[in-house]
Amino acid sequence: MDAIAVEHVSKRFDTVAAVSDLSLHIEQGAVFGLLGPNGAGKTTSLRMIMNILAPDEGAIQVLGQPASSRTQDLIGYLPEERGLYAKMKVREVLVFLAALKGLSEAEATLRVHEWLERLGLAAWSEKKMNDLSKGMQQKAQFIAAVIHRPPLLILDEPFTGLDPVNASLIKDIMLELREMGSTIILSTHRMEQVEMMCDAICLINHGRSVLAGDLRAIKKSYGKNTVRIEYTGDDNFLDLPDLVEKLNHFGAVVEAKLRPGADPQEILKAAVARGVRLTRFELVEPPLNDIFIEKVSEAHA
Amino acid sequence: MRKIWLVIKREYLTRVRSKGFILTTVGLPLFSIGVLGVSLGLATRRTDHILRISLLDNLGGLAPQITAGLEGKLPNGRPEYEIVRVWDRPPSEEQARQQLNEEIRAARLDGFLEVPKDILEGKPAAFHTRNPGDFQTTAALSHAVDNAVVERRLTDRGVHLDNVSKLVRGVGISMVKVTQTGESEEKGQTFIVGIAVVMVLYITLVVYGVATMRSVVEEKTTRIVEILASSVKPFHLLSGKILGVAAVGFTQYLVWGISGTLLTAYGASMAAAMVPGASLPNLHLPASLLAYAALFFLVSYLLYASMYAALGAMVSGDEELQQVQLPVTLMLVVSFILYPVIMRDPSSGTSVILSMIPFFAPVLMVLRIAIQTPPFWQIALSLLLSLLTTAGIVQVSAKIYRVGILMYGKRPSLAELLRWLRYT
Repeated sequence: MDAIAVEHVSKRFDTVAAVSDLSLHIEQGAVFGLLGPNGAGKTTSLRMIMNILAPDEGAIQVLGQPASSRTQDLIGYLPEERGLYAKMKVREVLVFLAALKGLSEAEATLRVHEWLERLGLAAWSEKKMNDLSKGMQQKAQFIAAVIHRPPLLILDEPFTGLDPVNASLIKDIMLELREMGSTIILSTHRMEQVEMMCDAICLINHGRSVLAGDLRAIKKSYGKNTVRIEYTGDDNFLDLPDLVEKLNHFGAVVEAKLRPGADPQEILKAAVARGVRLTRFELVEPPLNDIFIEKVSEAHA
Repeated sequence: MRKIWLVIKREYLTRVRSKGFILTTVGLPLFSIGVLGVSLGLATRRTDHILRISLLDNLGGLAPQITAGLEGKLPNGRPEYEIVRVWDRPPSEEQARQQLNEEIRAARLDGFLEVPKDILEGKPAAFHTRNPGDFQTTAALSHAVDNAVVERRLTDRGVHLDNVSKLVRGVGISMVKVTQTGESEEKGQTFIVGIAVVMVLYITLVVYGVATMRSVVEEKTTRIVEILASSVKPFHLLSGKILGVAAVGFTQYLVWGISGTLLTAYGASMAAAMVPGASLPNLHLPASLLAYAALFFLVSYLLYASMYAALGAMVSGDEELQQVQLPVTLMLVVSFILYPVIMRDPSSGTSVILSMIPFFAPVLMVLRIAIQTPPFWQIALSLLLSLLTTAGIVQVSAKIYRVGILMYGKRPSLAELLRWLRYT
């Protein structure tokens, strides 16, 4: 049984097709990356999975049941747009939201206490929501998403605005929930996070799926066509239009995408000839970032 | 159902515990007690003050009658006026006047009444004082002078009478209200009850309607509505919100009702203790009126609150609220300013038709019931029309709400709103 099965779903708003004939299958226990440029239809898709919106066509199943107000309680949701009741106490807001997901208030109170402790917010329990910093509010909202131990967790940009310590705290909790059997849908524009965390992805553009499947398999299908180089010296040696299709500078690191059939050895030769000191020379699969850009610009072409 | 209950509870508790609610709910009765206390205090303070007056009688011989007419007593039983000196036809009017003015300036005198020579021909008397705003004294003096002049005129024509003021006092008329079951003497209580009921309904509908709208906008601007929508059906969220705000209003009226009853009883007994013979007007609210008012209020609250909620769902921020709420608030304002039409003739064709219009019914039909109970079929028809309209409007509002809470940016046009209604 899939955690999520989306079958040929379409959703229109007036004349705009937000989602067209989208099909998604998310395995139970997976971390699934839902990717796409702004306005691609990600939020609409997620809202349909959560039964906030109903599809015009197609069907959605959540853990084997048709999406309904009953399946809502199986899902935890961290929306991209953050916000909680500004004038309520942190504890009260979280207990209220947990109770809405089906917990008894006694149980909710207990768990809120535990979670606040764990995320270092225990001292803020009786403070008003708007006394909290942005990062703290985001942690509080994350608690609201996970407090009922949902079998399905939907996180929209969970790490934005968090410092590295808090980001790693949230990441650890996500992995822990996954160990316990939860399925996680991660929607983000940060491709390095997707590469590190996701098992499978779906890339949506203009409401349609343009790339879907196992992340390793997808990357493998592109082959090791990229050279990652770290060096000191003049970078003119990479001016090799016959070999290099595209260059990506990251300051200390350069990624060079090779033309089909080009021999990476030629780049090495050029570097040595120019007296550039290499500290790293590695043949890799294309970064997801490039695949993303390629797929999205393909559609625009 | 459990989720509706949770929404009601949150809405209710956060509001009831807010500073604003506590301030208005407890503050208003306290303020009323304060006003009552101050006014009672002022009333008792007046007992110390006896007005010291002199009479400058240029006509001659009118002073005794005027003095007799100033028989006002203070609450403690002492006379209200002390006649310091009567100056009957002084050798020099001018000199006398100056001297009396000096006494007023030196605060040995509160004022003096000057009777002109030709007062019998209609020239008015003049009261010289530092405080011409004291209308109670002015009225008493005017009354005493009038009576003295009338008495003198009659005497001059050979009519001799003792107590002229009793003879010339008017009687006025009293109003008797005829109802289906009997009749009762009317001392303005119909008017007061009518206005009070209309005011309360109007203010409550506006205040709590707008509170519902603000609550919707708050959830939208803080974006929490996205999380709520992933946990609760929008219709349940809307219902819980409307009922929660209604419960807050009910609590507020309960507190005010109880403290008001106690306050009236307390005020009446205080007034009776301090001012013998004084009593507050007896405002009797018939149970049937209260029941009808509650019924109409309930239906129309759902009507207006759901419309306000839909308006809240259409906007993205507080700034736009003023604009969008105007049409709905205007309907309430119109029903309120139409009350004189009903007051003048509660059974006229215009009144009957106006009180049938569901948007006006909560105010106007209840007003009709308060001042002159209309035939039952009219009440029933008005209520039925209100119920049907409310059922329809709640449906439409819920649809607008469901779509609107997730829409940001430009406010929808009318055409877009109509399309929203068709979304699944």
